[in-house]
Amino acid sequence: MASIQLDELSFRYPGAVEDTLAPLSLNVADGTAFSLLGASGAGKTTLLNLLSGLLMPTSGRIFFDAHEVSTLAGRQRNVAQVFQFPVLYESMSVSENLAFPLRARKFDPGWIRQRVERIAAELEITQQLPLVAAQLSLFQKQLVAIGRALVRPDVSVVLLDEPLTAVEPRMKWRLRQTLRRVQEELGVTMIYVTHDQTEALTFADQVAVMADGGLLQVGTPEQIYSTPSHEFVGYFIGSPGMNFVAVEHLAQPLELLPNTCRVGFRPEWAELCADEDGQLRGAVRSMQLTGTHGGIATGVVRIDMTAGEIAVRGRLEVDIGQSVGVHLQHHLCYSEQGRLLTTHDE
Amino acid sequence: MNKPYNNKAWLGVLPVLLIVAFSGVVPLMTVVNYSVQDILDFNSRFFVGFQWYSETLQDARFIEAFLRQLGFSASVLIIEIPLGLMLARGMPRQGLSASLLLVLLAIPLLIPWNVVGTIWQLYARSDIGLLGVGLNALGFGYNYTADPIHAWLTLLAMDVWHWTSLVALLAFAGLTSVPTAYYQAAELDGASKWQVFRYVELPRLKGVLVIAVLLRLMDSFMIYTEPFVLTGGGPGNATTFLSQHLATMAVGQFDLGPAAAFSVIYFLFILLFCWIFYSSVVREND
Amino acid sequence: MLQLSQIQLAPGAEAFDHTFAAGTLTVVLGRNRSGKTNLCRLVAGLACSATGQVTLNDRSLSVQLPQSRSVAVVFQAFVNYPNWTVAENIASPMRAQGVAWRDREARAKQLAEVLGLEAFLQRLPNELSGGQQQRLAIARAMAQQAQVLVLDEPLVNLDYKLRESLVLELQGALQQAGTAVIYTSTDPKDAFALGDELVLLDGHTKLQSGKPLEVYRYPQNYMAADLMSDPGVNAFTTQATLVAAARKAAVRPEHVYLADSARFDDVSEFKMEVQGLETSGDETFIHGSVDGNSWVVRRPGMVNVKPGQRLAVIVRKGDIMRFGVA
Repeated sequence: MASIQLDELSFRYPGAVEDTLAPLSLNVADGTAFSLLGASGAGKTTLLNLLSGLLMPTSGRIFFDAHEVSTLAGRQRNVAQVFQFPVLYESMSVSENLAFPLRARKFDPGWIRQRVERIAAELEITQQLPLVAAQLSLFQKQLVAIGRALVRPDVSVVLLDEPLTAVEPRMKWRLRQTLRRVQEELGVTMIYVTHDQTEALTFADQVAVMADGGLLQVGTPEQIYSTPSHEFVGYFIGSPGMNFVAVEHLAQPLELLPNTCRVGFRPEWAELCADEDGQLRGAVRSMQLTGTHGGIATGVVRIDMTAGEIAVRGRLEVDIGQSVGVHLQHHLCYSEQGRLLTTHDE
Repeated sequence: MNKPYNNKAWLGVLPVLLIVAFSGVVPLMTVVNYSVQDILDFNSRFFVGFQWYSETLQDARFIEAFLRQLGFSASVLIIEIPLGLMLARGMPRQGLSASLLLVLLAIPLLIPWNVVGTIWQLYARSDIGLLGVGLNALGFGYNYTADPIHAWLTLLAMDVWHWTSLVALLAFAGLTSVPTAYYQAAELDGASKWQVFRYVELPRLKGVLVIAVLLRLMDSFMIYTEPFVLTGGGPGNATTFLSQHLATMAVGQFDLGPAAAFSVIYFLFILLFCWIFYSSVVREND
Repeated sequence: MLQLSQIQLAPGAEAFDHTFAAGTLTVVLGRNRSGKTNLCRLVAGLACSATGQVTLNDRSLSVQLPQSRSVAVVFQAFVNYPNWTVAENIASPMRAQGVAWRDREARAKQLAEVLGLEAFLQRLPNELSGGQQQRLAIARAMAQQAQVLVLDEPLVNLDYKLRESLVLELQGALQQAGTAVIYTSTDPKDAFALGDELVLLDGHTKLQSGKPLEVYRYPQNYMAADLMSDPGVNAFTTQATLVAAARKAAVRPEHVYLADSARFDDVSEFKMEVQGLETSGDETFIHGSVDGNSWVVRRPGMVNVKPGQRLAVIVRKGDIMRFGVA
C-alpha cells in the first residue's frame, strides 16, 4: 500500500478549449479510506482515469509513495479498480477469478491458493469459490470483483467507481460495511468515487468534494457537513441542502458582519417561531412531510421570502401562506465568491 | 378483460407466407416427388420407392464428391474463422479508419459469385494472370488447370478472399459490444494479450461465432458457381463438389430421379450438420 | 376518472381494484417486481389482464388500442425524438392531434417554462443533461393533454441531488385540471412529496390506499408499514409485554430514539448491538440487532457510535404499530 500525492495535476482533452480537470493538488495518506464526491460532470471519473493510467495527465505529476507514476501504463502502476457493474471473467469460477491477477503476475501457486482463501474468507464468499461467476447474484458478483481488486498484495491503491450502483438498495449498507471492514483490516488505501453523499460520508475517513473539474473541499465527513468551506459544498451535502441569505435581508442583525456577506444555515440549524421573533421572515409556501416526532407530523417547511426561498426542518404546525419567522440556532458566513469566512455560534 | 386485437397484422404476414410457399415448400415437395420415381420422359414414369436413395448412397462418385466436400468445408472453416477473428481484433474500434476498413472489408462480399470465379480464373492463369505468372517466376511451376493440388489451393485462396470478410465483420460487431471496463480491468490485472482474447473477448463472441461458423459451413457446403467458373470441377474430378456433381446428373445427363434423391440427401445432410452444431452449442450454454 | 376493477396485475394474482380520480396525483409505492410497471402497462394498453375492466370516465378502455387511449406515459429511460429540438419534441403530440401551429408553439413554450426548459427550446435532446432530458419527456407527455398521465419511476435513473430538485419542481407542475396522474416509485419520500393519494402495492396486490400521512400513521398490516419506511420497519418478536395481543408489532426507524438524548414519557428501552452506520450528514442510519431482530435507527445529524458498541435505545409506546390484534 502507498500514499498518493497529486501535484498540480490537470487534464484537457486534445483539441478542447477548457480543462476537464483544473490543476489540483491532493495528498492521500497510506491506508486511508478516501472518497471523491461530486455531481456527474464534476471531473471525478477523469481523476480516477488519471490515477488508473487510462488517461495521461496534460500537466502535473502523480506519486505513489515517492515514485512518480504519471506516465506509466495501468499495468505498471499497481492499481486495482472496481467498476460500477461487476466486471468478472464470466467463464471462470470465483476462485479462478480471484487468482487471475496473481497468476498473470506469476506468483507462487501455493501462495496464490492461500491468498485466495484468505481474501474469500475476509469477504465471506468461501462458499461460492467453486461456482462459475454467471451463477452468482449481482451482490455476490460485486463482492468477487472487490475481492479481485484486493487480492494482489503489491497494489498501491484500490479505486472504486460508484461500486454500489448495481446493488439493491437494501444490500448497499452491508457491502459498504464489508468494504470498510476489509479496508481497515488489510490497511488498503482506497479511493471511492460517488455522487451520493451517504456513500461518501459513510465510507470515508476523508472526503474530497469536486465541482466543475476542481476540488472545493477536502476534510472529514464531520467537517464537510458542519463547516462547508464553499457554498456549493453546503448545497450539495444535505437533503435539502444549505440555505443562503444575503445579510441585508436579515430582519434582526446577528453580529458585526460585513455588508456583502451571505449567511448560510442548514434546514436543521433553524426553527420556526412567531413572525416578529425571527431573524428571517416570510410566508409558508409548501410543506413536505417526512415523518412524525412524538406523534406530531414533522418535515421540511419551505418559506418564501423577498430574498428567495429557504427550507427549515421542524413540526408541520403551520398553514400554507401563513407568515412565520425563522430563528437561526447556528449559521456560517460566506463571501460573495461563496467562500467560508468565519464560524459564528450563538 | 379482453385484449384489443388488431387483426390487420395478419395481412402483413400473408405475402411472406405466399412467397415462402412458392419459393420453398412447393419446389421441395416436387423434388421429393421426383426422387421416388423413374422418369423416362414426361409421359412415362414409374414409382420406384427408395431405389434411387440406396443407389446414390452406394455410388462411388457420390462418396468421393462427399468426402471432397467435407475436406473443403473443413479447410474453409479452419482458415477463415481464425483469420476473420484476427482481422477483427486488429481493427481500430472507432473513428474514420475503422469506417474505411469496414467498407474495404465489405467489398469482396458485394461481388457476384460468378464474377469472383472469373476474376480468380484470370488472376491465377499461368500464362497471363498476375498470380500464376508471379508464382512461376518464383520457380513454383504453378498450373492450377493441370495440378489437382494447385487447383485445390487456388479454390481455397479464392474462398478465403471472398468470405473471410464476413467472419471479420461479424466478429467486429461482437467485439464492439464488449464494455471497455472489461479491457481496463484486464489491463490492471496484468492480463496478457492472449488472456484478454481467451477470457474477455471469446466468451462474449460465442454467439456471433456460432452464426459465422453456421453461415460459412452451409455456404461452403453448397459451393457451386466459383469452382464451376474457375476449374469446371477439374482437373479430372479433383474439384468436383456435391452441387456440381448434382448439376451434372440433373442437367447434363437428365437423370431426374437419381438427381432428386441426391438433392434430398444433400439437403438432409446440411440440415443435420447445422442441427448438430447448433444444438451442441446451445446445450453448452445451458 | 380512471377505474380499474377486478384486474389481475400478474397471472393468478389477487384482483386489484382502484379508482384514480381526475385532478389527483396518486403515488403507487412498491418494491421492485411488486406490479407497479404492470399497472402502468395495463393502463397504457401495453398489457392486458385476464379478468376485470379498465374504464375511463365510465367508458371501457378494453377495446381501445394504446394509441387511441387518452393516456400519456413517461418511462424510466429518457425517451425523446433524438433528431427534433426540445420545442419540436414538446409540440410533437399536438402535431399528431392536429393542433394549429400557433397554438402548438405557445403551448410548447408554456410547458417548457413549467418544467424549466425555456432556455433550451432550440437544443437537441442529446445536448441536454439527464435531468433535462427526463423533464423534456415529461413535458412531451403533458403536451398530449391526456386524461391519464402515467409516470413509471421517472427519476430512478438520475443522481440523488437532481432527483431531489426535480421532485420539488414536479410538485406543482404535474397538476393539470382533469388529469389523473399515476406516479410509481420505490421511495416513501416521493409519496410524501408528491402524492395527493397513495396506493401501496406488494406481490401484485393492493395493500392499502389513502392520504400519505394516514397510510403512514395507520398502516393496515406489517407490509404496509414496512413499505412506508426507509429502509423498512423494525419488528418486535420477543417482548411479550409490548406485543400484547398482537400477532406482529413494529416501530419505524425514525421513531427509535437514543436513550441518552430523548425525553418522552411512557417509553420502553432496548439494548441494540450496533453493526454498521450510514450517514448523509443530516441523517444517520444505525444498523444493528435487538433481541435477534435486525433493526435500523434513523436519527438526525451525525451520530457518534461505532460498530460493535451496545446502545440503549427507547421507543414511545404510542409509536408502536400492532397488527393482527385478536
